[in-house]
Amino acid sequence: MSIEAPVAPTTLPMLQVDGFSKRFGEVQANSDVRFDVHAGEVHALVGENGAGKSTLLKMVYGVYEPDEGRMLIDGEPVALGSPAAARSRGVGMVFQDLRLVPAFTVTENIALAANPGPVLRLKDLAAEIAEASARHGLAVHPNARVRHLSIGERQRVEILKVLMTGARLIILDEPTSVLAPQEVDALFAVVRQLTEAGFGIVIVTHKLGEVRAIADRVTVLRAGRTVLHGVDPDDYDDEQLIEAMVGRAVPALPAERGPVPPSDVPALELTGVSSRGDRGHEALTDISLRVQPGELVGIAGVAGSGQRELCEVALGLRPTTSGEVRIGGASVDSARDAIGAGAASVPEDPVADSVVRRLTVLEHMGLDGRRIPARGLGVDWAAVRARMTDADARLGLRIAPAKRRLSELSGGNIQRVILTRELALDSSLVVAAYPSRGLDVANARRTQEVLLERRAAGSGVLMVSEDLDELMALADRIVVMHDGHVSGEVLAADFDRQAIGRLMVGGTS
Amino acid sequence: MTTLLDPTPSLVEPGERPDRRAAALRATGRWAAAIGGALVIFSALLLLRGANPLEALGDMWVSTFLRGRSLAEILNVMAPITLAALAVLVPARAGLTNVGGEGQLMLGAIAAGGTALALDQQLPGPLVLVLALVAGGVAGAAWAGVAAILRLRFQVDEAVSTLLLNFIALDLLLFLIYQPWRESAAGQPTTRELADAAKMPVITGTVINVGIIVALAATVVVILVLGRTRWGFRLSVVGGNAEAARRAGMNVAGLVISALIVGGLLAGLAGAIQFTGIEYKLRAGFGLQIGYLGFLASWLARHRPLPVLLASFVLAALAIAGDSLQLDAQLPAASVNILTALILAAVLGWTTVKARRA
Amino acid sequence: MSLIIDVLTGGVRGGTSILYAALGETVSQRSGVINLGTEGGMLGGALTAYIIAAETGNPWLGVLGGGIVGAALALVHALLVLWRGANQFASGLMVLFLALGLTSLFGASYVGRTITPFTTWAIPVLSDIPVLGPVLFDQDPLVYLSYLAVPAAWFVLFRTRAGLLLRTAGERSDALTVHGADVRVVRTWAVGAGGFLAGVGGAHLSIAYTNTWFENMVAGRGFIAVALVILAAWGPVKVMAGAYLFGAALALGPALQARGIPVNQFLLHVIPFVLTLVVLAALGRRSSNAAPAELQRVFENGAPAT
Repeated sequence: MSIEAPVAPTTLPMLQVDGFSKRFGEVQANSDVRFDVHAGEVHALVGENGAGKSTLLKMVYGVYEPDEGRMLIDGEPVALGSPAAARSRGVGMVFQDLRLVPAFTVTENIALAANPGPVLRLKDLAAEIAEASARHGLAVHPNARVRHLSIGERQRVEILKVLMTGARLIILDEPTSVLAPQEVDALFAVVRQLTEAGFGIVIVTHKLGEVRAIADRVTVLRAGRTVLHGVDPDDYDDEQLIEAMVGRAVPALPAERGPVPPSDVPALELTGVSSRGDRGHEALTDISLRVQPGELVGIAGVAGSGQRELCEVALGLRPTTSGEVRIGGASVDSARDAIGAGAASVPEDPVADSVVRRLTVLEHMGLDGRRIPARGLGVDWAAVRARMTDADARLGLRIAPAKRRLSELSGGNIQRVILTRELALDSSLVVAAYPSRGLDVANARRTQEVLLERRAAGSGVLMVSEDLDELMALADRIVVMHDGHVSGEVLAADFDRQAIGRLMVGGTS
Repeated sequence: MTTLLDPTPSLVEPGERPDRRAAALRATGRWAAAIGGALVIFSALLLLRGANPLEALGDMWVSTFLRGRSLAEILNVMAPITLAALAVLVPARAGLTNVGGEGQLMLGAIAAGGTALALDQQLPGPLVLVLALVAGGVAGAAWAGVAAILRLRFQVDEAVSTLLLNFIALDLLLFLIYQPWRESAAGQPTTRELADAAKMPVITGTVINVGIIVALAATVVVILVLGRTRWGFRLSVVGGNAEAARRAGMNVAGLVISALIVGGLLAGLAGAIQFTGIEYKLRAGFGLQIGYLGFLASWLARHRPLPVLLASFVLAALAIAGDSLQLDAQLPAASVNILTALILAAVLGWTTVKARRA
Repeated sequence: MSLIIDVLTGGVRGGTSILYAALGETVSQRSGVINLGTEGGMLGGALTAYIIAAETGNPWLGVLGGGIVGAALALVHALLVLWRGANQFASGLMVLFLALGLTSLFGASYVGRTITPFTTWAIPVLSDIPVLGPVLFDQDPLVYLSYLAVPAAWFVLFRTRAGLLLRTAGERSDALTVHGADVRVVRTWAVGAGGFLAGVGGAHLSIAYTNTWFENMVAGRGFIAVALVILAAWGPVKVMAGAYLFGAALALGPALQARGIPVNQFLLHVIPFVLTLVVLAALGRRSSNAAPAELQRVFENGAPAT
């Protein structure tokens, strides 16, 4: 197998989408969407969550069939019907959640895509991988097990896999969401090298900086429609692009907030804490961290730098191998200790961590960790219901009806139920991981306000986010994590994207 | 007992929908189709074997349901099956797969037998009976406790450990009846028979023994405890998402242990009833497959306690029908397992309404 | 010395039926499906092989027929769990009951029938090697075939495209979907192939090892096979070692009794089960880490992702 550079750029687009429409039940995911890509260019596809980007790409890649519309490759109308057909026409896709098999080696993973006949020639394939990875500047070791690779390395494997299956048009679905700024630079270098070699690249993102850094053209989707089609981003300023994405001007956050009141007893104090991850590796090393009552501390870091473990250790959910965790001065060894000391939490992955199969919204409201209201040996559901009504009224996130099963609701609705339950508590500490994830702009904004209200009410707030802008808007202080360590700390007055970015990859500010 | 009851509109069966009657009707229809389909395939197999299916099924029907004693026999057989099914159902509520009803039942029978045979010459019969039932429940609970410890302490999945423990229990039973507890070296390897005074009494005027009352009472208790208590609510949280339970500060390990142990207790009780009410002696083949039948009954009922009664009744009737198949049609009694399996297949595969979000 | 040789020979002979079944279960579990119906597949294979051997006098036809019936029973399991969304444990036990009933119905008239069984073929030269010769090379042809089946299974699983797809189905089904293969089709093939091997295992039991048929003659060997696969961390070679260990434990009792050493056979019989539990406990989390990821999901909630 060899990687042929695609033919020289022509005026005919490699890919042209004409009026794609797709409906799922009541949701019109795409309506009359237009999109095209030329050889040798980077075309950015931007839009909010739920704007229809994934649906469009899945139709391009043959996962879904459009209800209406047609697609041309090299000027020829095609009906793909399957990812295999898409690949055979030179369309390759790197999924956001990377479809690699962790238990397999790099070579085995690539063998899955590159069709080498009935018997695997793993040695030959490994040699080809080594050769191709050198040629494209994508350093990967063919015999490494994917399980042991970092996210950035896994992404390189995926890109290599797509290249080795003969793709000329490569779709990168939110490739930077899991990368540190410096890793993003490395990825963009690869992307530029590929476009110079004549490949067409589609990059999905919602970060304007990235659009400006890499894209030749940009298409904006909103609510399933093409708002801007293939325009030059330099012709638009940030405000115009944001308005194209969200449809209306976003109100600014309350900028003025009071100083952090002095206090002798921190809301959360970690002293020299180390802990192991799920696979037994050391996930946290010697972390010391204080959150004062009335202070909002943001945690920044590349995905997988120990944020999840940090939250779990703070909440008594993960044992420490050394060091000490205290909430409001009380030592924490278990979830019960943390809850007893007044901790509330918004988990990183609410579907996995909070949603109980078959249980209703109301029943979930009884799972805030406080004593379940008793009535004899049973549960006093009337009391739980009263709590829920009160919480919903105070927070205003408008949760779904009490009788609905939580697992049947959408991600955003689930998130709002969990947020309402946890943030309505009179807590001394809030540990919130990605609290606005999956929410629309209005609810995300309301959630940020509620977090600031908790801060104003005297709770310590520890907030993890992948969105630096969000952290810089809310936090009194940002603690940056890298590879299980605290690599630095920045005060609100000194917030600076580049400095934080350097800390995220383990450098110094 | 009334303090257990929660008078607020029930959220305890979150699966319920307002159109209960239509749902019940549809469920009945599906069951009828399942049983009908199973009977057709079974008839075809009988025909293939050279037997007259109409005659065989007719005989089965007559001697299973229309003979005076048969209903009593079905209820007697149903009692341990019901308890064995509840032994699957309670752990299932906590998300556990207890395949070990068979072994827990065996241990219950061994403990009940050991206790009863040691004491039935000295103590009054009813006292011996009660002690035997208690011993059976405790032993079954302990056997399930082994699986609970293996899961929590050593991360051995309970579906695997309970299955293996079944074989260990069976070997223990065989060991005991072949040597230490054997009645006589010459005859069949069995223990001696339990003294009449210590046998499970029958309901006055019938041949139905009290076992079925114990089973019914256990079902009611399980319904109340799972549906109306905080322990039951916590079990369904653990079963629905153990991580969510942990984050809500619940003692997940304790709940897992307690669910398995309660399951083992129910299975042990089934073994004690099988011994004191039906077989009276431990022998090779004692209580064979009741544990597995209980597993199937719980799955037939989709792990809901009230339907478990119906499922257990059906499986008990089939067991009795197997005996009549052997007597009337000279076909092996175990052939009736085909019917059991086909009905289960139909229920497992063709009566679920999958309402999963993609 | 003769005791050791007897036990080891018995271990290989008695372990071979478990070996075939466990090999089949390895294939099935590697694709993400656990089949408790292996016990039933062995029963079906044992009776079918016995009937065919009795009626035709050709044991090889019996093996083929046993394999086919084993596969058919496994496909019932595949139909229910893969295409109808049934719980894997419940469906597996259902298949066991189905096989119990079918073999009881169709096997009754073959109890006590004589057949032409497989006989041992001593391999010239090799069978003269001390200890190893009689243990490994004075056996029946199905034992020799199993020596080939183990490396063949390894090769298919780890060195062919089919094996790669199969393991992907067991590790990450969405990765398979991306590459245009239907997870359920891949798993159906794996479960069917696994059932074929279980049927062959049953055939070895009835027409090469015990040379008899009676109701429920598999007596838990299928369940042992299922546990053995987990014990052997889903590796064909370790499965082979484990199967012989189980076989040896079963052979120890009769060998001791034949020498007038009084032991209660049930105490020996229980050893492999206790040993399996102890080893699983000792491996603890390591054994579940080695498990195919989709299979772990089965243990967690009874259904793999499709």
